[in-house]
Amino acid sequence: MSLLQEEREIILGNEYVDTFDFAEVTEFVTNASKELFISHHFKKKGKMLVQPRGGFPTYKQQYALYEFFVDANVDVLPLTIDSNTRLNDYATAKKMLRLSEENDMDMLNGYPLISHGYRTTRGMITHFNKPVSLRHGTPDARLLIETAIASGIFEIEGGPITYLLPYSKNFPLDKAFLYWKYVERVCANYSELNEPINRESFGPLTATLVPPSITIVIQLLEMLLSLEEGVKSFSVSFSQQGSMTQDIVTGTVLKKLAKDYAAQIDCADASIHLVYHQWMGAFPTNKDFAEQLINLSTVIASMVGADKIITKTREEATGIPTKEANAKTVADTQYCLRILNGLPNVVDEEEEEILTLEVNAIMEAVFNDPADTLWRKVFNCIKSGIIDVPFSPHIINRNEMITIRDDSKNIRIIERGNVPIPDRCYAYERAQCDLSKDTTGIVNDIIHDIGIMQ
Amino acid sequence: MKVVTGVVGNDIHVVANRLIDLSLRARGYDVFNLGVNTHLEEFFDAVVETGAEVLMISSLNGEAEGWGREVKLLKARYKTIDDLIMMIGGNLVVGSGNSEEIVARYENYGFDLVCHQVDLNTGLDLLQALLKERNIT
Repeated sequence: MSLLQEEREIILGNEYVDTFDFAEVTEFVTNASKELFISHHFKKKGKMLVQPRGGFPTYKQQYALYEFFVDANVDVLPLTIDSNTRLNDYATAKKMLRLSEENDMDMLNGYPLISHGYRTTRGMITHFNKPVSLRHGTPDARLLIETAIASGIFEIEGGPITYLLPYSKNFPLDKAFLYWKYVERVCANYSELNEPINRESFGPLTATLVPPSITIVIQLLEMLLSLEEGVKSFSVSFSQQGSMTQDIVTGTVLKKLAKDYAAQIDCADASIHLVYHQWMGAFPTNKDFAEQLINLSTVIASMVGADKIITKTREEATGIPTKEANAKTVADTQYCLRILNGLPNVVDEEEEEILTLEVNAIMEAVFNDPADTLWRKVFNCIKSGIIDVPFSPHIINRNEMITIRDDSKNIRIIERGNVPIPDRCYAYERAQCDLSKDTTGIVNDIIHDIGIMQ
Repeated sequence: MKVVTGVVGNDIHVVANRLIDLSLRARGYDVFNLGVNTHLEEFFDAVVETGAEVLMISSLNGEAEGWGREVKLLKARYKTIDDLIMMIGGNLVVGSGNSEEIVARYENYGFDLVCHQVDLNTGLDLLQALLKERNIT
């Protein structure tokens, strides 16, 4: 038996799992409907796929949500996992699920997949026969993704960096890399049976003034870590940044460099997709304004040429959205996409060049780290601040980089910290901003820049 | 002047914490930032370890109320921090409440300066005024 299989048996021997039947799951994936695989839909390349967010505690509620989404002409269904399950606290998730079922009151902020189990969940997923995307935020997702794939969920979001730096203060980053290595291998192995399992990175990160160079570097690194384990279908992603030009430039550079770096490790055969998140920052409380913002995001996603868009709702500022509001966004987004035709081709060569130089310089610094494997190089670079994510709560993050918006709302780096932004690019970024202000002025600008959509 | 700061409890809201850090440094303080998700013991341990004169606790999700009650009891266990200036700020209750009552309650918990929903720079000005008043510079 391989080491991986030994580890899988330990993971799946968890007391909260009702006997995992490896042979049966393998047979299920082998014969599963192509419709369940988002990688199959990407191949058909008809239109931008629309995917909402959403997860409820009980099976009944989740089923009802999916009915609403299907009525609204959804392309990809989400399964958002509750926070107890995300932190591997299956006992609490189970208890809260029972309370939610008995009291008609939601005690969980998502679907506790482990508590429901794969046999039950698979029934729902095969019934709707749409691709499902797993949305979680789990540093140790080994049991979760095994259960997800066994349920018929063939897109797994996340990664060791993007699911850790925005969400955790002190979960050990080196452990996260190893746990995600397991995830990549299991996804790669299942990919040989039918259509490939798609992996997706979480580009929005903290969604707070993260400059595109940092976003792209982390997207590329998570992609490489995944492809080197044998994953054949991968989505890089980012969220609306506040400036249409910056979004278009980010999309162009990200798409191009993803292909280039994949080819460099002999993985040019993997298919790479681009996912765009509607605005992930603070939303307006005015629900009509929220809809305008959502619509604007859809237009930009089209300009960017995204393969999939992930939606928000008019209730974003108030809490977990109702299924009605959630389905409304799906229908509205589909309508907007249908009427968006004859888009102009916008190119900003100077911005593209600057961004490409920045990304390549950081990537080079990562590759030049003396460690023997890519994940160790990345680990060292996060520790030393070569990769620095603004507003990450994690203790390993350096927090020396400072970013603000220029007059066109582009996110600019005014303090690079230890990130190897080339001098020419750094001078260019700073030249776009008013640097005469003192720190009090800059802090006030940052507060304003975070809240621009409110 | 040394300041220990951080967000109390199981509160991951990091944005204001970073801005407090930046602003304190700009005003010339030596900042020891414990970040988000910090428990009371960790704050007092850090004060002892660094010899800080000021402890500045922040809270956004309102759970400071629960922790506040334990401040006096816990502080009494430390022998060397009687002169510590204790400040707290942010959103100090879950939901909404009368500001005057909230301030009085937290002063009773042992805080010298209570800033409930007060603008960051105003809060830092108040701290400077208090330090001056007590002749600590």
